[in-house]
Amino acid sequence: MRIHVELMGPLVDFLPKSQRGQTTLTLSGEATIADLLKELKINIKVVVAVNDDEEKELEHVLVDGDEVLVFTLISGG
Amino acid sequence: MPYGYTGKILHVNLTTSEITVEEPAEEFYRTYMGGSAMGMHYVLKETPAGADALGPENVLALCTGVVTGTPISGQSRLTSVAKSPLTGCIGDAQGGGYFPAEMKFSGFDAVIIKGKSPKPVYLWMHRGEAELKDAAHLWGLTTGDTEDKLKVELEDKRIEVLQIGPAGENLVRFAALISMSNRANGRTGMGAVMGSKNLKAVVVRGKQKPTIADPETFKKLQKWGTANLEATGMDGFGKYGTPGVTAPQNKSGGLPTFNFNSGTFDKAEEIDGVKLYNEHLRGHEKDDQNRFGRDTCFSCSIKCKRVTEIAEGPFKTDAKYGGPEYETTSTFGSYCGISDMDAIICANALCNMHGMDTISCGATIAWAMECWAEGKLTAEDTGGIELTYGNAEAMVKMTELIAKREGFGKILAEGSRKAAEIIGRGTEDYLITSKGQEAPAHMPQVKRSLSIIYATNPFGADHESSEHDPGYKAYPERMKYIGLTNPQEKLALNKEMMRFAMVTQHLSSAVDSLSVCAFIFGASFQLYGADKLVEVVNAVTGWDTDITEILAVGERRLNMMRAFNSREGIGREADTLSKKMFKRPLEGGRSDGYVLDEKEWEAALEDYYRLCDWNVETGHPSLKKLESLGLGWVVAENEALSKVVS
Repeated sequence: MRIHVELMGPLVDFLPKSQRGQTTLTLSGEATIADLLKELKINIKVVVAVNDDEEKELEHVLVDGDEVLVFTLISGG
Repeated sequence: MPYGYTGKILHVNLTTSEITVEEPAEEFYRTYMGGSAMGMHYVLKETPAGADALGPENVLALCTGVVTGTPISGQSRLTSVAKSPLTGCIGDAQGGGYFPAEMKFSGFDAVIIKGKSPKPVYLWMHRGEAELKDAAHLWGLTTGDTEDKLKVELEDKRIEVLQIGPAGENLVRFAALISMSNRANGRTGMGAVMGSKNLKAVVVRGKQKPTIADPETFKKLQKWGTANLEATGMDGFGKYGTPGVTAPQNKSGGLPTFNFNSGTFDKAEEIDGVKLYNEHLRGHEKDDQNRFGRDTCFSCSIKCKRVTEIAEGPFKTDAKYGGPEYETTSTFGSYCGISDMDAIICANALCNMHGMDTISCGATIAWAMECWAEGKLTAEDTGGIELTYGNAEAMVKMTELIAKREGFGKILAEGSRKAAEIIGRGTEDYLITSKGQEAPAHMPQVKRSLSIIYATNPFGADHESSEHDPGYKAYPERMKYIGLTNPQEKLALNKEMMRFAMVTQHLSSAVDSLSVCAFIFGASFQLYGADKLVEVVNAVTGWDTDITEILAVGERRLNMMRAFNSREGIGREADTLSKKMFKRPLEGGRSDGYVLDEKEWEAALEDYYRLCDWNVETGHPSLKKLESLGLGWVVAENEALSKVVS
């Protein structure tokens, strides 16, 4: 299945600079958010939203065509 | 010699030029731990009820904490506390850099300033001594020029200077205290308080490094921080700084846009931290931003501060004035519908150069832009400046006029609430203030527990006074440490979220009292969590404190601030949000249609009061609560307070 991923803020560095934080991944079989993060080699605490919906848990199972946003929380500025 | 702190508090009476040193007992430090709580002790003792915020009776406390100046990330912060000329309530502003640590090295934990000097002076604190020196030659100078002159005059390039710029001298109601020419104790007008006293600057230098009680444990904590920079995501935070949060805020519908009428800005990418890093930080041409475009505070390995420079053109900017934070890219950017990063960098520099809070300044201009859009302001009012959304040149020009109190800037220098009172014509309908302080760049419509904190916070709308809603669900382990184990769904405004708001508020309040950085020590995403905060305090001081005692310090400080306001006759009627947050649904993006329900919100407010043990009718803290926190003296010593607290 194909998952479109957008990494935001400092997470853009988990992809080559030219991709500006965006990529489409092809994952085989049933895949969860945890699998997706492993594929992207993201090993830090992140928040993940799927299809503009509520933030999802690591165990959430993805389906073909999902659009996934990944970001870190900073409450301040 | 105590561990961590110097044990010395400097008292300066500017009216009489009298300078004395107090040496409080350890119990005093254990009760307040420094910073804001310590400052509140002196403000409540020495500022009479009803004092003019810009008069000589208003006491200004500048306080470090018991761990300030020790070599670990996130400890070099200074708190300023006084009655606010912007709100008429208690004022509080936190700032970092190298000044706080150097003040500790100069031999003092805090300086308590009262009175008014007959002529401009600066306070020179060095090697355990202090003196007032003439500042007539510095009056009117920008922060950068003042700092340059002082370094020559005192023949020492390593002095640290906390000062007001021309905006503080001009009593702009949101004037800031500035150190290093680019670090601000920004909020609530502390710069105007210092300006009203004819005090241009506090200059510090010393070599008295704090002694650490348990060096071995302290070293382990230092190493833990370094080893966990990557795992906690704090190295990425340091690289892109606070503006790195812009894109996620926008995607979640929480980026204040067009004066809080929307949570989504279609040009957010233009003002995001990634763009700032890649295309604007000093050194970006040679991909050498980490060397030339980032700065830090004393002994902090995060390096989240921005350094920007614009060599020529209408927005020419000197690197000495730093670079914008997220709050600044938002207030001068999305609040105003502006996506020109150069203009934002320039406005930020003007604020640092003249000494103004970028949040209140940008938000006040955004308010004026909405008034313009609604036909409430015209070129006749503004001296011909077209305050249309997106007009970057007008925004920068207005920033300068505010600092100088010239033209229409003279009115906006009063802050948006007072400006609305002066102008009338229904312009108050567009305010985004709580207690007269302009809201920072996090939206109460999107982060609902934050809406109660914005409204009830004693010094007005503030984003660093509690953890934000998403943190509850995202960081269960750290939340559990402070007794929060029941995260709620997004947008919930129920009793559990009020408990989340209050408990994390107590922690934030303790962080501001220990005078440490909210990005390093805190409830959720920070490098060190609250557990490590306890360990650091114990390692430095040799105490045996725990999280219960730390939270009590935060609760004590919060109740002292509420008591200050109660003494001024300010209670529940001031615990409000702007009208538009209840009446005007947000437009566009993920938060399209979001609006607060007044009935639900009032019920949550009352839940929060009950949890705090504050009177639901009046909003004043109960006598029982104050006494339980060891604050019975506050009521006993203040007649005005004893009449309203029961």
